[in-house]
Amino acid sequence: MKLTTKQLTFCALLTAMALALSYLENLFPLTLAIPIPGVKLGLANIVTVFALYALGPGEALLILLARCLLGSLFAGNMNTLVFSLLGGLCALGAMVLLSRRRGLSVYGVSVGGAAAHNCGQTAAAVWTLGSAAPLYYLPVLLAVSLLTGALTGLASACLFQGLRHTDLMKG
Amino acid sequence: MRPFPKLRPTAWDGLVALCVAALALGIAFFQWRGGTSEALTAVVSVDGTEVDRLDLEHWEEPRAYTNNGYTLTLSWIRHNDAENGVWVAESDCPTQDCVRTGAIFRPGQSIVCLPARIIIRLEGGTPDPDAVDAVLG
Amino acid sequence: MRRLALSVLLLLLLSGCGGQMSPDEAQESIQVLAMDTAMLITTYGERSPAAAYACEDTIRDLEKQLSRTDPDSEVSRLNAAGGEAVEVGEDLYILLHEAACLSAETRGAFDVTVAPVVSAWGFTEDSFRVPSQAELDGLLKLVDYNAVYDRYLPTADPRAAAIGPGQAIDLGGVAKGYAADKIVKVLQEHEVPRANINLGGNVLAYGDRPDGTPWRVGIQDPARVDEQNAFAGVLALTDSFAVTSGGYQRYFEQDGKTYHHIIDPATGYPADSGLTSVTVVAPALEGFLNGTMCDAYSTALFVMGEEQALDFWRDRSAGVFELVLVTEDGRVVVTEGLADRFTLDESSGYTLEVASR
Repeated sequence: MKLTTKQLTFCALLTAMALALSYLENLFPLTLAIPIPGVKLGLANIVTVFALYALGPGEALLILLARCLLGSLFAGNMNTLVFSLLGGLCALGAMVLLSRRRGLSVYGVSVGGAAAHNCGQTAAAVWTLGSAAPLYYLPVLLAVSLLTGALTGLASACLFQGLRHTDLMKG
Repeated sequence: MRPFPKLRPTAWDGLVALCVAALALGIAFFQWRGGTSEALTAVVSVDGTEVDRLDLEHWEEPRAYTNNGYTLTLSWIRHNDAENGVWVAESDCPTQDCVRTGAIFRPGQSIVCLPARIIIRLEGGTPDPDAVDAVLG
Repeated sequence: MRRLALSVLLLLLLSGCGGQMSPDEAQESIQVLAMDTAMLITTYGERSPAAAYACEDTIRDLEKQLSRTDPDSEVSRLNAAGGEAVEVGEDLYILLHEAACLSAETRGAFDVTVAPVVSAWGFTEDSFRVPSQAELDGLLKLVDYNAVYDRYLPTADPRAAAIGPGQAIDLGGVAKGYAADKIVKVLQEHEVPRANINLGGNVLAYGDRPDGTPWRVGIQDPARVDEQNAFAGVLALTDSFAVTSGGYQRYFEQDGKTYHHIIDPATGYPADSGLTSVTVVAPALEGFLNGTMCDAYSTALFVMGEEQALDFWRDRSAGVFELVLVTEDGRVVVTEGLADRFTLDESSGYTLEVASR
């Protein structure tokens, strides 16, 4: 994949925004309301949805990898890398597939991505803990992902609406 | 470059949501079933290794488990004079998810502390008196 | 939701009335990664947390002194001294002499100076290879516990120790046993009524279980290493050390042959004595280094093989130590002092024999 300077700058900007959004949501942890490991808003998913449509799957993957790596580095805890990476890759994979279906809107894509993210994170937890216990929380996580997915879908829809007539959306 | 996305929810979105909900219900069915047997055992695993089995009928005092630099204090609780449960009373882990999970009462339920890599899981029945306390090898 | 609210309420009430712990029920479990193994320390009693952490400190302190891979450890300095006397701390001073005595007792089946040969096989650094016979012949000349035994310097202050020129020692075969010996003292100081200490193949069953029955210690079935809870049998122990040595614990394969880590100091090759594991059990007695003894004996008796091991046991008076031997031909041999404390695991398929004096 060869990136133009403009695309590269755009990717870097989106990575920074994704990191800022991850940081932002840590200020309002959803786990205060629902005390289950892994529950969060998933605001960074908005960036992934946007990158997927505005740039393409390859660029979205690049941004995702950079975000996960830098995020874990900033957190000073590389243990979280496997969680965010597996969750992020599952979410991206699901959204690439779903975005190909013409009947779906950004809402469906976001919800599918959020659900896949939780499945990926749970898989990472099962793997690192060597126990099936985290599966116990998966139904709750999936139910929550319906709401958070719809929320990030709404945010993405507003974003696309606002950028509809700019040249950003033409790559 | 993808086609410009649809911005209004469609029936297909509903289908995706339904699929997610069905998946949640399906997993819930398999993970959450399990009767309310009287006797319960709390199984404590540290780093994937089982370190303790606690009979909830005969367990009175809090117990502490340390791993990965964090310490959890596990305690026992009786609910409605009938059901025994277990909860993490105290933890110095940064996320505090294990503490906020509260008490668990049914077999199959568990409390997970990711920072400390400790899992507390409830199993039906009393601990096997023949279970070994240590393994040589 | 009501349940959650209720439980939270109860939690608050309960947390208000702590501090009336019955000494037997308070418990602390910690996991310690040290000496190349995962250790589990579970202590009971009012001072169980302090006791558990004091145990960890003891282990870490010993590891720092006795490590062969840490170039700054006392053992490394002793090995690098080229036969000169080196000032050492109390632990190394005691343990080196004890290890030399145990080497002499087992007539070199356990030899504290076998380190150069073990290193040639790559077991020190995890870079496994099969050394040539010429190389082994050269290194075997350095293996002689007498050189250490003769250089014992009976000076309490300053304490000094020496080994022969060119020799190297590795106390890995007794360090965990010695740690268990020191832990007994720590537990006594903290008035711990009972504890279950597993130092990775070295178990200290201290006191009895909270339900008043003996601790149950499973002996891993060497034929089913990959299975959890696959035991040759289970020991019921109180106030005892138990140590297992087996070729299955560490090995590598080359050209279709398996080479394990218990080197026979006489041949320089992995011991091939017909045994797959040896478990030595001895009481935890005040004033004796029985943990260290169990650790060294388990290695030595694995090298000796069944017949010599049982003769060695018969040569000592009753109650000093007991054995569980697992043989390659599917038998479990238990010495008579342990017969009523050992239960064969029926699913293992072994036949049980009791050895008498």
